[in-house]
Amino acid sequence: MNEPAPAIWTTKTTEVVKTGSWRVALPAYVNPPAPCRNACPVDGDIAVWIRHIESQAYRDAWLTLIDNNPFPAVTGRICHRPCESPCNRGRLDEPIAIRSLERFVGDMALEQGWAFPGTPVSKEETIAIVGGGPAGLAAAFHLRRMGYAVTLIEAQPELGGVMRYGIPPYRLPKNILDAEIQRILELGVDVRTNTRISTRADFENLRSEFAAVYIATGATVPKRLPQLDYSQPWVIESAAYLEQTNAGDHPQCGAHIVVIGGGSAAMDVARTARRHGKVVTVLSLEAEPAMPAQSDEVLEAKDEGITLIAGAMLQSVSDRAQQGLQLTCIRVDFEAGAVPGEFHVTPIPDTTFTVDADTIVPAIGQDPDISGLHDLLEVEAALVRIDGQQQTSLGGFFAGGDLVTMQRFVTVAFGFGKQAATEIDRYLRSGTPARDLAAQPEVSIDVINTHYHPRASRAVPQLVPATERQASFGEVELELPLSEVLAESQRCFSCGNCTFCDNCFYYCPDMAINREKNGYSVNDDYCKGCGLCVRECPTGSIIMRAET
Amino acid sequence: MMKMSSTKTLLTGNHAVAWGARLARPKFIACYPITPQTPILEKLTDFHMAGELDAEILTPESEHSAMAACISASLTGVRVFTATSCQGLLLMHEMLHYASGARAPIVMFNVNRTVASPWAFWPDQTDSVSQRDTGWIQLYSESGQESLDSVMQAFRIAEQVVNPVLVNQDAFYISHALEPVEVPAQETVDRYLPPFHPEHVLDPERGESLGNVVSPEMFCQHRKDIGQAMQLAIAVAQESDAEWERLVGRGYGIIEPYCCEGAELVIVTMGSMCGTVRHTVDEMRARGRSVGLLKVRLFRPFPVEAVRDALAGIPDVLVLDRNFSPGTGGVLHQELKSALYGMTDAPRMHGYLAGVGGVNVPPGKIEEFVDQVRRNEPAIHSVWTG
Repeated sequence: MNEPAPAIWTTKTTEVVKTGSWRVALPAYVNPPAPCRNACPVDGDIAVWIRHIESQAYRDAWLTLIDNNPFPAVTGRICHRPCESPCNRGRLDEPIAIRSLERFVGDMALEQGWAFPGTPVSKEETIAIVGGGPAGLAAAFHLRRMGYAVTLIEAQPELGGVMRYGIPPYRLPKNILDAEIQRILELGVDVRTNTRISTRADFENLRSEFAAVYIATGATVPKRLPQLDYSQPWVIESAAYLEQTNAGDHPQCGAHIVVIGGGSAAMDVARTARRHGKVVTVLSLEAEPAMPAQSDEVLEAKDEGITLIAGAMLQSVSDRAQQGLQLTCIRVDFEAGAVPGEFHVTPIPDTTFTVDADTIVPAIGQDPDISGLHDLLEVEAALVRIDGQQQTSLGGFFAGGDLVTMQRFVTVAFGFGKQAATEIDRYLRSGTPARDLAAQPEVSIDVINTHYHPRASRAVPQLVPATERQASFGEVELELPLSEVLAESQRCFSCGNCTFCDNCFYYCPDMAINREKNGYSVNDDYCKGCGLCVRECPTGSIIMRAET
Repeated sequence: MMKMSSTKTLLTGNHAVAWGARLARPKFIACYPITPQTPILEKLTDFHMAGELDAEILTPESEHSAMAACISASLTGVRVFTATSCQGLLLMHEMLHYASGARAPIVMFNVNRTVASPWAFWPDQTDSVSQRDTGWIQLYSESGQESLDSVMQAFRIAEQVVNPVLVNQDAFYISHALEPVEVPAQETVDRYLPPFHPEHVLDPERGESLGNVVSPEMFCQHRKDIGQAMQLAIAVAQESDAEWERLVGRGYGIIEPYCCEGAELVIVTMGSMCGTVRHTVDEMRARGRSVGLLKVRLFRPFPVEAVRDALAGIPDVLVLDRNFSPGTGGVLHQELKSALYGMTDAPRMHGYLAGVGGVNVPPGKIEEFVDQVRRNEPAIHSVWTG
C-alpha cells in the first residue's frame, strides 16, 4: 500500500521533483531463484521452508516441502544434497545443513501423524504407473494431488524400489520408509504389487486400459565385469546381496569380501558386510575424491574398518580352492567422460598387486531392463529416449527415473516423478508449457548483504561411534537437537526469499519503495537508481536492472 | 532573583566548556580530538566514565564524520554537542552547511587556532570567521566563565530558532588558562534549559522526512526561512542572555559597549583581545583619555542595529582583527564597514590586523595603535601591525 509522503517541515512536499529522471538503472523486486532451489532435483522451495522452521511454524515448513516432495524424511537422510554445495552461505563460512533440517521436518511430520491434505478424484482419466520406486511413488503422489486416479503397478511384493531393496536400514530405517509410503497410499492409490509388466503385450494392454502410462521401472540389470566369471558361487551381485540383507538374510559368503565399485551401492554392500562381521575391501576404479559415492559414506565406511583401494582395477581372479581367491589388480588413472557413466581408464605399468578374498561382490552399476520396450518405443543405448516433457516416442507413454538417466539418485527420481505428473496433466489437458525457471539468474553471494549475517558454524549431526555401528543396523546419523535446528535455520540467507524486513523501504532516500500486500514495488517516478535498497537487502530479493 | 547554590572553582577555559556541556545534558556527543580542543573531549569522557554525563559519546574517524553523526542524531530529536578546532572545523565545512540547512540545533565549541599551512598552534580566529556564510550562529567568548555561560545560552538559542550555534574561544589565552569559574548548579541550568523536545523529529513511526531534492523555488524559500531564523536569533540571543543574567547574575549582551559614552575612540574586537583592550581602556581612562571598547560577542547574525547604536556619535573606530582574509584584510573590519555604511555622521573607520597568527598584542601596543589612529586619516584597507 502506498503510504502518504511523509511531512517535510523545512521544504514541504517534494513530490514535484521527479528524481526518477536521473536514473540509469532501476531496482526490481523479483525474488530471484536461490542457488539451492536451482540445484534441487524436485525444485524445492528450500529458503521458504527453512524460514518457516526459523519462525517455528513446522507444519508450514512441512506443507511447503511436500508441495515438491512427499518423502522429506527419506531425502532428509539419503539425498545426495546437490543443494548444499552451491549454497551462498558457503561463500561466507559453511553451507546450510539443508538435509539435516529437512530430516527434522520430515520426522516431525511422522511423529505428529500429519496427513497429506485429502484430494478427491476430480478428473475422469486414470493413470497407470509402472514401477513403485521413487519416481513412480512421487508421480503417484503428485497425480493424486492433481485429482487423477492412479494405478501403481509393482513387480516386487512391496513398494519402495531401491529405497527398500537397495538402501540398508542404517541409512534409511524401514519404518520411516513405510510411513512415508503409507501416507501416499492414504490418498487413495490402486496398488498392484507382485505384478510384473515386462513384455510388449503387457504394455500394450495398459495402453488400452489407461489414459496415460508412466514407466519408471528403474535400473535392475547389473552391469557385468568381463574379467569376472559370474557363474562361480563366490560371485554375488550387489543387488542380490542387498536385497537379501535388507530382508534380514545372511547371504552365503566367506569371511573376506571384496566389493568392486565406487558408488553408493558398493558402500552399502561393504558396510552391510562389515555389520555381518566380514573383513571387507573395496576396490574402486576412481581415486577417492572422484568416487561417485557421497564423501561422507566413504568416510563412514573407512571409520567402520573397511579397507579402501581406490584407483585400481581387477584384472583376474584365481581360485586357490582352500586358500581362497587371489585377485590380481593394477593401479589405473581414471578419467570421467562427458556424460555420467562414461569413463576412460589407463593402467599404470608395473603397479600390479594382489588381494586375497573369499567372496567378490561386484557393484558397478545397473542398467534398465528394456527387453520388453525396445521394439515398442525408441531407446538410446541402455536408456529409454524421452523428450523434454518425459514423453517417449509412443503416444501416451511417459518414462522417468533410472530408466531414462544415468543420474542415479533417489532425489532425482523424485524430481522425475513430480515433473511427470505435470507433463501428463498437460498432455491430457493440452495445457501451456510450464514457466521457464531458468529464465532468471539466481541469487549470487554478491547481492547478499552479509553484514546482516554474523558468522556461525554449520550444524553437524552426531554419528553413532564406529565401534557400535559395526555391530548394528541402527541408524548411523543422529537427528539434530531442536536448538541446533533453530540456530541452523537462522544461518540461512533466505536467498531471493524476501523476509519483509523493510530495509528497502527505510533506506530509500526518495521514498520510492512502496509496501505492497505481498512485498514491495518501486515507484519509478522517484527512484533515482542509487541502489541502496539492493545493497541493504539481506536476501538478494531485489536486483538492479540497467535501463537503456 | 533566585540563586541556587553554585560552585566557584579554578578551571581552564576548556574544562569550563566541558562543564557547560555537561550541565546542558546533551544526549549525544560525536567528537574528534584536536589540539587545543582535546581537553574538552577528555573532560567529557571523564564525566561519562564517572557516570555524571548520560550521553552517547561517539569518536568517529574524522571531524567530517563527527558532524555528520551530530546532524543525524540531532534530527532524531536529541540534544547534541561537539567541539573542534581549526583544521577540524574546516574539514567539517561541508557538513556545517548541511547542518544549518537541515535545521539541526547542534551546539559546537571551537577553539580558535591558526589554520595550516604552515603548521602552528597559536590563537587566530580565521578558522571560525571563515565559516560565517555556513548558516551557523556564532558567539565569541572573552573568558572561561563566559565560555561556560555561552554554552548554556547557545543551546537555548539553537533550540528556539532551530539553527546550529558555534561558540568560540581563543587557543591557550582562554582554552588553557586557569581562572576562577563559577559552575552553576544543575537545578539552575535545568530551569534555564528544559528537556529538548523538538516539534519535528525523524522517526519511522511518525513518518517525517528531510533533505529531499527540491525545485529552485523551494530552495530559495528554504534559504529565506533560514534568513528569517537568523534575524530572529538576535532577539532570542538577547533574551537568552538576559534570562541567564536573571538566574545567575552574569550577562554579556550580544555586544558590550564598555566606556563608550563620550569616547573619542572606540576599539572594536572579539574574543580574548577584549580583555586586553578592557584593561587598556581602564588605564587610559584613568589618565584622562576618553577611549572605549565595543566587544562583539554575537558575530553571526551580525547585530547591525546594535552596533550602529553603540557607535553613533563616536569620532574614530579602531577594529582589531585577530584573523586575516587574504585579499580583503580583517573580517571584523569588513563587517563594521558594511554595518556602518550609509550611516549619517558615521565614525572614521580604522582597521588593524593585530595578533594574526597569535602575535602578542599587549596593552602598550594597543595604546600605540590609539595614538596612531588619532594622528592618521583612516586607510581604506586593513593595516598590518606588529
